[in-house]
Amino acid sequence: MELLWLIPALPLIGFLILVSTQGRLGKVPVALIGAGSVGAAAAVTAVAIWEFVGSGRAEYTQPLWTWIDVGGFNPAVVLYLDGLSAVMLGVITGVGFLIHVYATGYMRDDADYSRFFAYMNLFVFAMLVLVLGDNLLVLYLGWEGVGLCSYLLIGFFHAEPANGYAARKAFVVTRVGDTAMALGMFLLFRELGTLEIQAILTGVQAAWPTGSTTLTIAALLMLGGAVGKSAQLPLQTWLPDAMAGPTPVSALIHAATMVTAGVYLIARLHDLYLQSPHAQLAVALVGLITLLIASFAALTQRDLKRILAYSTMSQIGYMFMALGVGAWSAAIFHLMTHAFFKALLFLSAGSVILALHHEQDIFKMGGLWRKLPVPFWSMVIGSAALSAVPLTSGFFSKDLIELSAWDYEFGGEWFWAMASLGAFLTALYCTRMIFITFFGEAHTEADPAKQAGLNMSLPLVILAALAIAGGWFGLAPLASVLPDGGVHDTHHGWLPILTAAVPMLGLLLGYLIFGTRLLNVDRWVKSTLGERLRRFWFGGWGFDTLYDAVLVKPIVALAGRSPRDIVDRAYDFIAWLSRALHRVFALTQTGRLRWYAVNMAAGVVVILLIVLGVG
Amino acid sequence: MITAWLILILLVGGLLAALIARWQPGASRWVSLLSLLLAGYGLLEVWLAGQPATPSEQIIYASLSAEWIPRFGIQVLLVMDGLSLLMVALTLFLGVVAVLSSWTEIEHRAGFFQLNLLWILAGVVGVFTAMDLFLFFLFWEVMLVPMYFLIAIWGHEDRAYAAMKFFLFTQISSLLMLFAIIGLAFAHYASTGTLTFNYFDLLGTQLTPELATYLMLGFFIAFMVKLPGVPFHTWLPDAHTQAPTAGSVILAGILLKTGAYGLIRFVLPLFPDAALRFRWPAMLLGAVSIVYGGYMAFAQTDFKRLVAYSSVSHMGFVLLGVFAWTQVAVQGAVMQMIAHGFSTAALFMMAGALQQRLHTREMARMGGLWMHAPRMGAIALFFIVASLGMPGLGNFVGEFMVLLGAFEVDVPLTVAAALGLVVAAVYGLSLMQRTFQGPPNPELAGMRDFGARETGIMLLMAAGLIWLGVYPQPVLEVSGPVVEMLRGAGAP
Repeated sequence: MELLWLIPALPLIGFLILVSTQGRLGKVPVALIGAGSVGAAAAVTAVAIWEFVGSGRAEYTQPLWTWIDVGGFNPAVVLYLDGLSAVMLGVITGVGFLIHVYATGYMRDDADYSRFFAYMNLFVFAMLVLVLGDNLLVLYLGWEGVGLCSYLLIGFFHAEPANGYAARKAFVVTRVGDTAMALGMFLLFRELGTLEIQAILTGVQAAWPTGSTTLTIAALLMLGGAVGKSAQLPLQTWLPDAMAGPTPVSALIHAATMVTAGVYLIARLHDLYLQSPHAQLAVALVGLITLLIASFAALTQRDLKRILAYSTMSQIGYMFMALGVGAWSAAIFHLMTHAFFKALLFLSAGSVILALHHEQDIFKMGGLWRKLPVPFWSMVIGSAALSAVPLTSGFFSKDLIELSAWDYEFGGEWFWAMASLGAFLTALYCTRMIFITFFGEAHTEADPAKQAGLNMSLPLVILAALAIAGGWFGLAPLASVLPDGGVHDTHHGWLPILTAAVPMLGLLLGYLIFGTRLLNVDRWVKSTLGERLRRFWFGGWGFDTLYDAVLVKPIVALAGRSPRDIVDRAYDFIAWLSRALHRVFALTQTGRLRWYAVNMAAGVVVILLIVLGVG
Repeated sequence: MITAWLILILLVGGLLAALIARWQPGASRWVSLLSLLLAGYGLLEVWLAGQPATPSEQIIYASLSAEWIPRFGIQVLLVMDGLSLLMVALTLFLGVVAVLSSWTEIEHRAGFFQLNLLWILAGVVGVFTAMDLFLFFLFWEVMLVPMYFLIAIWGHEDRAYAAMKFFLFTQISSLLMLFAIIGLAFAHYASTGTLTFNYFDLLGTQLTPELATYLMLGFFIAFMVKLPGVPFHTWLPDAHTQAPTAGSVILAGILLKTGAYGLIRFVLPLFPDAALRFRWPAMLLGAVSIVYGGYMAFAQTDFKRLVAYSSVSHMGFVLLGVFAWTQVAVQGAVMQMIAHGFSTAALFMMAGALQQRLHTREMARMGGLWMHAPRMGAIALFFIVASLGMPGLGNFVGEFMVLLGAFEVDVPLTVAAALGLVVAAVYGLSLMQRTFQGPPNPELAGMRDFGARETGIMLLMAAGLIWLGVYPQPVLEVSGPVVEMLRGAGAP
């Protein structure tokens, strides 16, 4: 555990080496440094967690240095390891390492190989700082670092302006959330005098009665940060566009880093939300609405990666809902299983896309299952876990969330019903994706050699195993951290059976529609209403259009029209006035003596009159 | 004594540089560099000699006091405390950067150029150390005239207009300050019977609220123009755009800081009650500067103009923090001053380097430069990221502390100012997009990347920002006791 600092330090060192050599290293050393540093971090993590669990302690802190110490504001750089950060560490370094290994193959033809791995390492570093920080300011350092790296990686192919736009969109939209979070930190500091997380958690109860307005505002501001990073309503619009980055980046953003940050933040600050039921309800509602919206949107996408992007949004929605209804451990449990199966799905999608020469439209795919067996089976397993097929990892975590929702005090039945609808839709869009991509006629010739390397298929196999078995053992370390005492389920009777059956109905329906074509829904889809709905969902429920019309376009238009400063007009007026006066007075300088004499005399008369008048 | 030596070294160095240029124009820049390094060495000695025994102990690193015009109570009083030390260190460091950044840019009258450069720096060092208000005013003017020449002689296409505008704004506002200085001295004379311009004597002068407000505004406007804060900022984009690279580096890196320094050193300690009555409008101007400056930056198409407006935005944080007048906020403002000096100087150097290579500042004619000059691209990215306030770099520490401190004083204005964080991301990343990203322009294929000299300076500044961002505590401890002394100056 003394080596805890090494876990973030290793990827940072990898980043520094790759940056300072400026692309002069060959691809093999770059791959060794890039993937190796994360692998080493994973190994250290394994040792640290082993020792931590073995020691039986609830937490371990490692002070590094005092960051700032001014007038009572004294954040220190301290690493904090407990059950929650241990789970996060495992997911980030473990899944992150597999993604890095895969990327050594996926990116092999790219000229900017070194820059790519430099950014990836920095990304992992930032995420590790985020989960290890003992202080909100240290967490914020990782938080913003993650945002920066997502910007760098989404815009990795920066010669294409659309990618640059997607990258900036991701950064700016999440920055809106980050700013809310910063304000939340100011408020917490003003009220509690510290930004140390554990001190805040213990201070909350003493400082405020349950449901206090200040507390609710603080909790909502922190939620603002969380919805930005985790792509939840109303700041979700950046995620589908974030597909502009290389596919391993998408896997990293969606599985191991970035979008899980918001879930982590709220779980980390759980006492804030326990003390403020309204804020917690807001978390649940945000999650529920996002998961439904994203499921419908995923149902209509044509781009393989966009389907997966919307599915991420909806799965994170489940996690938020779980946090909101008080199933804290279930949320983190789902975060972990989701990391397994979503990394699997993205990486296998990457293999498909690479084999098809960067074709991403599923309607231009088809008939691939024989040619690409490893990606095919990976995607089937990933989809099964995503759809919560019994005994896969996703089943345990998602069912736990839905069952916990049933017990929620504010309309739990409704939360359960809506979440089940979401699960039904998830199963439906998964089958749609699988059948259209892998079965039917082949529309594009596949080149399996592109994705054949062991460094690309081995991570898929390992992740497939985790996607199946990753949920069998629960998550013991969480019990000591989160208020619900870890992952456990006490439901019996018809409810668990029904909950498990709903996604199966979705799979069946999907099979009938997309697999056998026994059920023809064309009539509905092609109707006017169906077409309108399809377009509406396809565009992500019009949020982009709305934000463009209300915010982006007016601001850009105004900026385009006013590069000159209106304040300067005032000074221009002063300058103009003095010039004008100058001209007026210059007219009096005629050089004619008679004119001057007359004026002098007139002046004397006027002055005399004034003096006399006053006198 | 050392402060006088610093000023003398710079003045004499400037003369020598001008002289030697008669025989060997290229040698003048070496003379400049050497005199700056000599001065820097002297400063380092003083810094290292003055380690405090306890963190809260206030250290006077050097001081010099001599009669000058005793009849009017005017002294040569140069005192270097922690705040002055940091500012002088920044001045000398950026002076070196300015000389190196214009190493090959200036060919016309190179000697006179170096003379002006060093004399500006001498004036600035004087401003940061003079504790006699009359002497302060003298140095305030000394730094103005050579700066005018720098813009008017070595500037770009519209230099005459820009130089005149700079001169008029500064001169008119410093006239107000002169009135305020004399007014303050006479008010002090009226209540105590001694005529003095000594800063320490004038602290705590009894003033009627009305008079205090007028005198405070005299100082305030002069410093607001220099800072610059909205609505007195409009000289800055023109001056920056037209100035040669070294001029922009010095202007943004150092001259703007004299305004901020003045607010911290004079406005609030000399007129604590009047200034705190004026707190809300001043903080409002700070918040407006942040958002309006950022927005105007986004609207620009000229690289240098964009960076110039970003300075308005960043210095708005300083204004906000200073008038919040809490320990955290003022310390944040000091940190922001230093970090902004580094990040903006680097961006102006980048603009200058691009102009030297492409003969344009217009971003519409750039784009895709990363392909041709990846090193410049990576460096530009670093400083843009620094200037948009990434944690781990100095600017973040400054901005976060300012906002944290201001939040305790005024929540709505802090919320408005925090919008600046979003705006900074918008204009910063759009700057990156419009210059280094996007499709590469084949016409620019032969563009030269940064060489060793340019990369070296940039890495030095990058290292500075990382240090300030990761371990700012040593710097905060140097300024800390001074800030506490100044905050205490007005307390009953």
